[in-house]
Amino acid sequence: MNVLKRLRNPVLFNEWKMRMRTNRSPWIIFLYLLTLGGMTLLYIFLQTNGGTYYNPNQTRELFMILSILQLGMIGFVVPGLTAGVISGERERQTLSILLTTNVSATRLILGKWLASLSFMTFLVFSTIPLYAIVFLYGGISPGQLFKVFGFYVITMFGIGSIGVLLSTLIKRTGIATVVSYAIVFGFAIGSSVLAEIIRELIRYQRRVNYATQAPFPLWPDLLHSINPMFAMLNIFGEGPVRDLTRMNNTQFTMLNIDPFWYYCLFLALVTVVCLLLAIYFIQPVRPRFRKSAQVEQ
Amino acid sequence: MIQLQNLRKRYGKMEALKGLSLEIDKGTVFGFVGPNGAGKSTTMSILATLLEPTSGKAYVGGYEVTKNPKEVRKLIGYMPDFFGVYDNLTAEEYLDFYGANYDIPAAERKQIIPQLLELVNLSHKRDAYVDSLSRGMKQRLGLARSLVHNPEVLILDEPASGLDPRARIELREILKELRDMGKTIIISSHILPELAEMCDVIGIVEEGNLVAYGRVDEIYSKMQEQRVLRIRLLDQVEEAMTRMREMPVIINVNREGNWIVAGFSGNDEQQVELLRELAVAGFPVAAFNETVGDLEEIFLEITKGVGS
Repeated sequence: MNVLKRLRNPVLFNEWKMRMRTNRSPWIIFLYLLTLGGMTLLYIFLQTNGGTYYNPNQTRELFMILSILQLGMIGFVVPGLTAGVISGERERQTLSILLTTNVSATRLILGKWLASLSFMTFLVFSTIPLYAIVFLYGGISPGQLFKVFGFYVITMFGIGSIGVLLSTLIKRTGIATVVSYAIVFGFAIGSSVLAEIIRELIRYQRRVNYATQAPFPLWPDLLHSINPMFAMLNIFGEGPVRDLTRMNNTQFTMLNIDPFWYYCLFLALVTVVCLLLAIYFIQPVRPRFRKSAQVEQ
Repeated sequence: MIQLQNLRKRYGKMEALKGLSLEIDKGTVFGFVGPNGAGKSTTMSILATLLEPTSGKAYVGGYEVTKNPKEVRKLIGYMPDFFGVYDNLTAEEYLDFYGANYDIPAAERKQIIPQLLELVNLSHKRDAYVDSLSRGMKQRLGLARSLVHNPEVLILDEPASGLDPRARIELREILKELRDMGKTIIISSHILPELAEMCDVIGIVEEGNLVAYGRVDEIYSKMQEQRVLRIRLLDQVEEAMTRMREMPVIINVNREGNWIVAGFSGNDEQQVELLRELAVAGFPVAAFNETVGDLEEIFLEITKGVGS
C-alpha cells in the first residue's frame, strides 16, 4: 500500500488530465495516424499493384518500412513533446510554485517525463491496426513485432530524457526544442558517420601496417549498433551492423551478444544520466553549492 | 518565526541584498516596502527555498532554509508576484492538484477545498476554468492555493499589484481574516499606504538594505501629533517663511512656488493663532490648508537609523 502511495504522482496525473483536454492532442493523434497510415496504405496499394496480386516476400519489406517510418515519427514527435515540459512550466510561471510544494525534484521530473512518454506510447500503440494490416499479408513473426515495440519504448525513453534535460537547462521552450531536435538528428546521423570514418581510419592503418590478417576491431559496429536506424534494420538482419553473435570469434566472446542489447544498454544509460542531471539541475538549492556556501562563511 | 541574519545575495556584479537582518514574530503581519529592484522578491524567494543566499542565514520556524528546505516548505505558503495557473483546470481541480502535491489525502482535500474557495469568495467559480477568471479572482485563487496545506507562514509577493480598487479591497479583507487566524504573513508592496492598513510591522528596503523598520501603530500615533500646513501667499513668501521659522509650533518650512509647506506640531487653537498672526502681520494669505503628513516621510523619520 505504501509502495502504491509512493508511486502516485500528482504531476503525472495532472499532466494526463490536462493533455487530453487540449485541442492539440486529437490533432496530433489524427495527423500522426494520417501520415503513418497514408504512407503505409499507399505503399500497400503500389506493391499489390492496385490490389490485383501480392508477393509474400514484400510483406517483410512493408513491415520494415512501416517500422522505420514509425521510428522517424518518434524521432520527430518526442523532442517536441518533451522539450517544453519544464521550460513550459517556467514560462507559465508555475515552476517556482511547484518547487515550494512537497513534490520532490525526482517526482517532478519523472512525472513530466512519463506523462510525455505515455502520450507518445499512446500514439505508437494507436498504430497497431496498421500493423494488423501488415499481419494480414503474413511474413512477420510476433517476436519481431514485440522486439520492434520494445525498441520504440527504449528509444522514446532515451530521446525523451534528452528533451527533459534540455527543457530543464534551457529557459525558453523554443530554444530547448530546437537544441533537442539538433541533438536527436545529430545522434541519428552522427553516430553512423563517425562509425564509417573510424572504419576507414582503421582500414588505412591496417594497410599501412600490413596488418590485414588481424581481426577487424569492433568499434565501428558498436557505433553503428547505437544508431537508431541501423539498430532497427539489424532487428531484421539488415544494415551495416555485423551480427556479432554469429562471428564465433574467440577474441570477442565478451561481445557475443545481440547488437540490439547494445542499443538498449546505451539508451538506458542516456536515460539514467539525463534524468539524474535534470533532477539535479531543477533543484533551486543544490546540495553541492550548499556546502560551498557554508565554507564561505 | 522568521529570522534573517546578514543575508546577502549577489547576481554577478550586482548585489541584490547587502546584509539584510530581520526578525518577524509569530502571528505578525509584516509589510515589506521598497521600490522595484530593492530586494523584496529576492528575500522572499530565499525564504520560499527558491533561491540560495550568497551568504548569511535565513530561518523559518527554526529551520534554516538551505539546510532544511523540506521542513520549511511544509511551513510556508508562497504566492509569487505573478499568476502561475494552469488554464485547462477548473478552480477546484487546481486546488486539488496542489493539495495532492502536499500529500494531503483525497478525502481530506474534498473537505478543505470548498472551505478555501469560500474563504476567498470563489465558491461560485468552483467549476469555472482558471483561464476564465478575472485577474483579481486568479489572485484570490492563488492565495487559496498557498493556504491549501494550512501553513503557519504566508509569503505574499506583491499580491495587490495590477488589481483594480475593488479587487484590492477584497484581498485586504481576506488578509485581515488570515491575520485573525493567527498566521504569520509577509507581504510586499512598493506602496507603503497600501500595506500600512493591514500590517502590524513595516520594513522599508532600498538597494538591498533595510533602511527602516517599525510598528505601524507608532507611525499612526506620530501622524496624529504632526500635521502639514499648506499656505498660499500672493507675495512676500520668503518673509512669511522667516517669520514662521521663529514660531515654536513650526517644525520645518519649505517653499513650493507660492505655497509654503510647513510641519506643524500644535493643536487647533495654535493653528488659528498662526493664521491670525500671519494676517495681522500683513501677509497676503490666499489659502490655508491642513493636510495629513506623508506616511512614508514620517515613517522614515521615526525609524531613522534603525536599519543601519
